[in-house]
Amino acid sequence: MAATLCLRLLPQQGWLPLTQSVRHGSKAVTRHRKPVHILRQKLMAVTKYIPPTRLVPPGAYPSQTSRVQEESPFALILKKALQKLFQECRMLAVVQNSASNAEDMMMLKYRLHKHGIRVKFFPNKVVRSFLNDSVYSNMAPLFSGPTVMFVSEEPRVKEMLKTLRSSPQMTLLGACIDDTLLSVDGLVSYSKLPSVSVAQGQLVSGLTMLTSHTASLLQRHPAYLSALLQQHVKQLSPDAAGPAAAAEEEAT
Amino acid sequence: MAAPSKATVVLKAVKKITLRFCPFESNAQSTREFLCMVGSEKVRATNMNCEVISMVKHDKSEPVVDITYVDGERLVMKGANLSSREMLSSFQSRCIAKDPQAKAAAKK
Repeated sequence: MAATLCLRLLPQQGWLPLTQSVRHGSKAVTRHRKPVHILRQKLMAVTKYIPPTRLVPPGAYPSQTSRVQEESPFALILKKALQKLFQECRMLAVVQNSASNAEDMMMLKYRLHKHGIRVKFFPNKVVRSFLNDSVYSNMAPLFSGPTVMFVSEEPRVKEMLKTLRSSPQMTLLGACIDDTLLSVDGLVSYSKLPSVSVAQGQLVSGLTMLTSHTASLLQRHPAYLSALLQQHVKQLSPDAAGPAAAAEEEAT
Repeated sequence: MAAPSKATVVLKAVKKITLRFCPFESNAQSTREFLCMVGSEKVRATNMNCEVISMVKHDKSEPVVDITYVDGERLVMKGANLSSREMLSSFQSRCIAKDPQAKAAAKK
């Protein structure tokens, strides 16, 4: 009705109708995409944001002041736990598990727990940042991808290797035993070493071999000793008769 | 990250996969990622006869992936300068080429 009225009143003046009524229209909030009104379209086009043109691309000249991001409190807690671990445990092995289900993991944890080895999970980022600050920075490249840590107070390498042999998915990467970084070959040779007491006994026996031999010689019958010394003199006679004769006199 | 066309890898045509790398080197990362992708449960379930063997060395050698197919062909990938995505895509394309029937059936 308004449209028809306008047509009659304004055609000669050439004015556009001030109101454009719509016969029936959808509501403001629709389920479909309502076509935007032309006036609104014009307004949006006119008031569009034009960012200021940068002479230099943003990454070309990086800022001289470096922003150090603070670590989250959870990361700090994890770092404290890591420090405690490194202080307490003598053995820390790093293993990569490409795939193992919860069942396999549970069996492995059970088998390792029998020997006193614990299984620990830590996020790689936290571990890397902790290692780079501490003495153990050479271990940092080991921690990438899905890694698990086996920690224990006593270095039980043989048992650990046996347990890992049963699960093919776990790949042993390296270990830190008594603050010494070892590779897989190093671990295998470490497991083949005799225990400390056995090694000490071997060393002591090697050092005292000569003296024990001499002691046993002296404990034998003196006639045997004198015969030995006479033979020794005969062998040394071209070289020096004096010291050999004096030794013979002392013996007899 | 653009994933390869199929999320899982089918190992039907593969006999053995051997990975050799040195974890203390920085160029072994892509090989390790490839090991994760290939050694996962889903992938190994596609072919239970296929062995995935990983050898960890400490001799500053280059990381190498050696794949032996059922028909005797060998694919050797030197992972020092390759990314894990490239290795996976080349491996997958060869697997698909070897085993087109199974693939077509799976796709249909």
